[in-house]
Amino acid sequence: MASASPAVAPALSPAHLRVSHVTKRFAGVTAVDDVSFDVPKGSFATLLGPSGCGKTTTLRTIAGFYDPDEGDIELGGRRINDLPAHRRGTAMVFQDYALFPHMSVRDNVAYGLRLARVGRDERDRRVKDTLAFVGLTGLEDRWPNQLSGGQQQRVAVARALVIEPQVLLLDEPLSNLDAKLREQLRVELRVMQRRLGMTFVYVTHDQEEALSLSDWIAVMNAGRVEQAGTPWDIYYHPRTAFLADFVGAVNLVPASVIAIEGAAVTLGLGDRRITLRPTAPTPTAGSEVRLCVRPESLLLGAAGSVADGAVVLPGTVVRRSFLGDAMRYWVKVDDREWIVDQPDPGAAAALDGAVSLILRPERAHLIV
Amino acid sequence: MRGLTREPPLLLALLGVVALVLAFIVYPQVQVVIAPGFDGYAAFLQGGTWVTPLRNSLEVVALSTTTAVLLGFVYAYAMVYTDMRWKPFFRLVGILPLLSPPFVVAAAYILLFGPRGIVTYGIFGQTPIIFGLMGIWAVQTIAFFPFAYQLIADVLSRSDARMEQAARNLGAGPWQVFRTVTLPLSRPGLGAAILTTAIYILEDFGNPQLIGGVFTVLPTQAYSLISGFGDFTGAAAVSTILLVLALGLYLAKLRLDGGRSFVTISGRASSMPRPPVPPGLSWACFAGCLALAGLILMVYGALVVSAFTIAFPTNVTFTTTNFQFVATGSNGDALRNTIVFGTVAAALSAVLALFAGWLVQRGDWPGRRALDFLLIMPAAIPGIFFGIGYLTAFNQTWLDWVDRGWIIVLSMIFWNIPVGYQAAVAGLRQIDRSLDEAATSLGASKLRGFRDVLFPVLAGSLRVGFVTTFVRAVTTLSVVIFLFTPPTTVATIRIYQLVNDLNWGGATAFTVADISLAIAALLVFALLARGRLALGMARG
Repeated sequence: MASASPAVAPALSPAHLRVSHVTKRFAGVTAVDDVSFDVPKGSFATLLGPSGCGKTTTLRTIAGFYDPDEGDIELGGRRINDLPAHRRGTAMVFQDYALFPHMSVRDNVAYGLRLARVGRDERDRRVKDTLAFVGLTGLEDRWPNQLSGGQQQRVAVARALVIEPQVLLLDEPLSNLDAKLREQLRVELRVMQRRLGMTFVYVTHDQEEALSLSDWIAVMNAGRVEQAGTPWDIYYHPRTAFLADFVGAVNLVPASVIAIEGAAVTLGLGDRRITLRPTAPTPTAGSEVRLCVRPESLLLGAAGSVADGAVVLPGTVVRRSFLGDAMRYWVKVDDREWIVDQPDPGAAAALDGAVSLILRPERAHLIV
Repeated sequence: MRGLTREPPLLLALLGVVALVLAFIVYPQVQVVIAPGFDGYAAFLQGGTWVTPLRNSLEVVALSTTTAVLLGFVYAYAMVYTDMRWKPFFRLVGILPLLSPPFVVAAAYILLFGPRGIVTYGIFGQTPIIFGLMGIWAVQTIAFFPFAYQLIADVLSRSDARMEQAARNLGAGPWQVFRTVTLPLSRPGLGAAILTTAIYILEDFGNPQLIGGVFTVLPTQAYSLISGFGDFTGAAAVSTILLVLALGLYLAKLRLDGGRSFVTISGRASSMPRPPVPPGLSWACFAGCLALAGLILMVYGALVVSAFTIAFPTNVTFTTTNFQFVATGSNGDALRNTIVFGTVAAALSAVLALFAGWLVQRGDWPGRRALDFLLIMPAAIPGIFFGIGYLTAFNQTWLDWVDRGWIIVLSMIFWNIPVGYQAAVAGLRQIDRSLDEAATSLGASKLRGFRDVLFPVLAGSLRVGFVTTFVRAVTTLSVVIFLFTPPTTVATIRIYQLVNDLNWGGATAFTVADISLAIAALLVFALLARGRLALGMARG
């Protein structure tokens, strides 16, 4: 199994949007604490984090709704800190859509073009094209309250896209929709962004959304960027326990580094010794680390099975839970429970009692 | 703040509003308070002429507030909690007093119970002395219990029916629910309602003026000092005492409810059904409401009958001469003035209030708390004080080029600005900031976003502000009594003069016409609101 990222990393174009050392305080509480990142032109960047982590504040600071207490924001090589929000070219899509209730779909979408004094013919054409682009042709004369949630969200996206902003800011735009629709719109958003080649900055607390949409993710916690990188990196190579835990289910097992020989690291888990070939970073011998393994990276076998080149740990199933696409097991090894997801649970009888936990050496990651 | 410096037109607009508030709310009031000067106050306080009116005012407020609130509470409880019959009827009757000058109750009272009253003289052949404390107490109770009812009903209907359902579900009886859940939850609101009623009664000028006789209260004392003795200093000092009392009550009210409740005329959505009360209680409430509605209808019935008869009660032949009298000559002018002043003032007040509400509610500039306070303060300023303020500040020879009608209009705009302001703030609280921000992120400046998005969306608040201000403007006596000139007389002034002339036919016809104006405004409002509802349904 290859460990290199299959996702295309953003091209090495210069930063289109640059946030450098931005700090924002509210009444003494630091909401955003020295946050810096670059977003290349045409990429889909996501700020991911739990509620209250500062991601929305960061987005709103980019939009100009908040003034940063410190730091700079640059867009297209130009510092925009002092530009009022309505001159920044940072159109925003809001969580609650914020459609103008007294305007038809057409007028909602045309609003930004009217402000920009775009001529009538061009305005009509662009509104028509954009509505077609988001799949709303035929609904031009509807009022916002005559639309479903998904349609309203498309209008909100169209209204922002039509003015061709330098960067499109999206603040949890899918969180008010039901799961099925959310997934569908997620795909559409990604396709739209690719086709337009527009820079998107997306805020969400949903790690699955972030992983599936983004070229690049910054995971935020307590006002800081905890880690930034490709979805692949964030998922498989989290740098902190918070990150590993926030982005998906994970086994985090305290371990001590006994010896290092090349890529092989021997770990002590209690009295047990196991040798793995973890992906970066490289620990130092004698240090305490945490072994980080995703549940789906583990295999279960009958008790006493051996697997060539893999670590086999004897355990007991204590609980299981049917998830549909997988069966989740809680397996006790020594005095610690591991979570293991087995795909396609219908293919074989569920396991019970004594089992073997199989860990391939290169499927482990260490948090040092 | 940086938002303001980046958008100079917004800064200019804000400065404009601040200048208007300073010129037309702060300046006139300060003029009155400082008018007597230190020596003036010292002499005035030593003179002691203020002691009796102050005592009388406090006495009247204590008595009338107690009875008005008790009756209002019965009415409100019955309307909100019981399933008694005739509720729409009781609701209509309860609105009527909000649409008329409060002093019509005093006029009707004289008509019914006065020395030549229908009941007292006509039926019992008595000529009792009805003036003084007892008369004021009775009249103010009837005049203000409908206000207390509106305020209390508002508080009660806002209490969460789910809590009451939950308490019933846990085994509490209706009385226990009321005592242990409803009352504790609505205590601040009820306290605020009581204080608001007390302010209305304290500031009431028309009723005590008509039937107080030698029993003077602070507002009537201030009036007679100016109109009888030309004693501005004394009047300023008396009305300052009045202001201090009213502000005290108002600040106490603000502490309780944060400035939320105000008698506004608006549609109220029905909430979740409340747990039922015993049928006996419903029937008792029905009887009580019937009696109270009867009192209100007696007042207005007497007015209407008198307006359409030659010399009520001695000659009850039907006639329309009273209305011809009202519609012609200087009376017709007064009626026209009422409509023009009321409309212009209500429109300007509602728009200015909406804009100011937006500046304060959505702004982040320093000093907006102060502006917020100044914009709701006129709600606490007694009409008589406000009128004296405008008289002192703007009845100047250097302003002779200004039509005097404008001074009346301005006084109506700014005395009523809290109405529209609070409606606007309440409306804005319902609208998420993301709506403004959406406009901004699409390239609209803040002012442009206000014009394009919030102004149309807040049409409902604007209408509430307009109608309520119009009604208050055409029914106020105390504010305009110092400001009118013969060509700028308004309906309430003429009614007051006609009552003093004992021209009952003319006075009552004028009152009916004035109330009809208010009702017409309300009907237009209801029609517009219905239109919006219908439109909303057409939109799905």
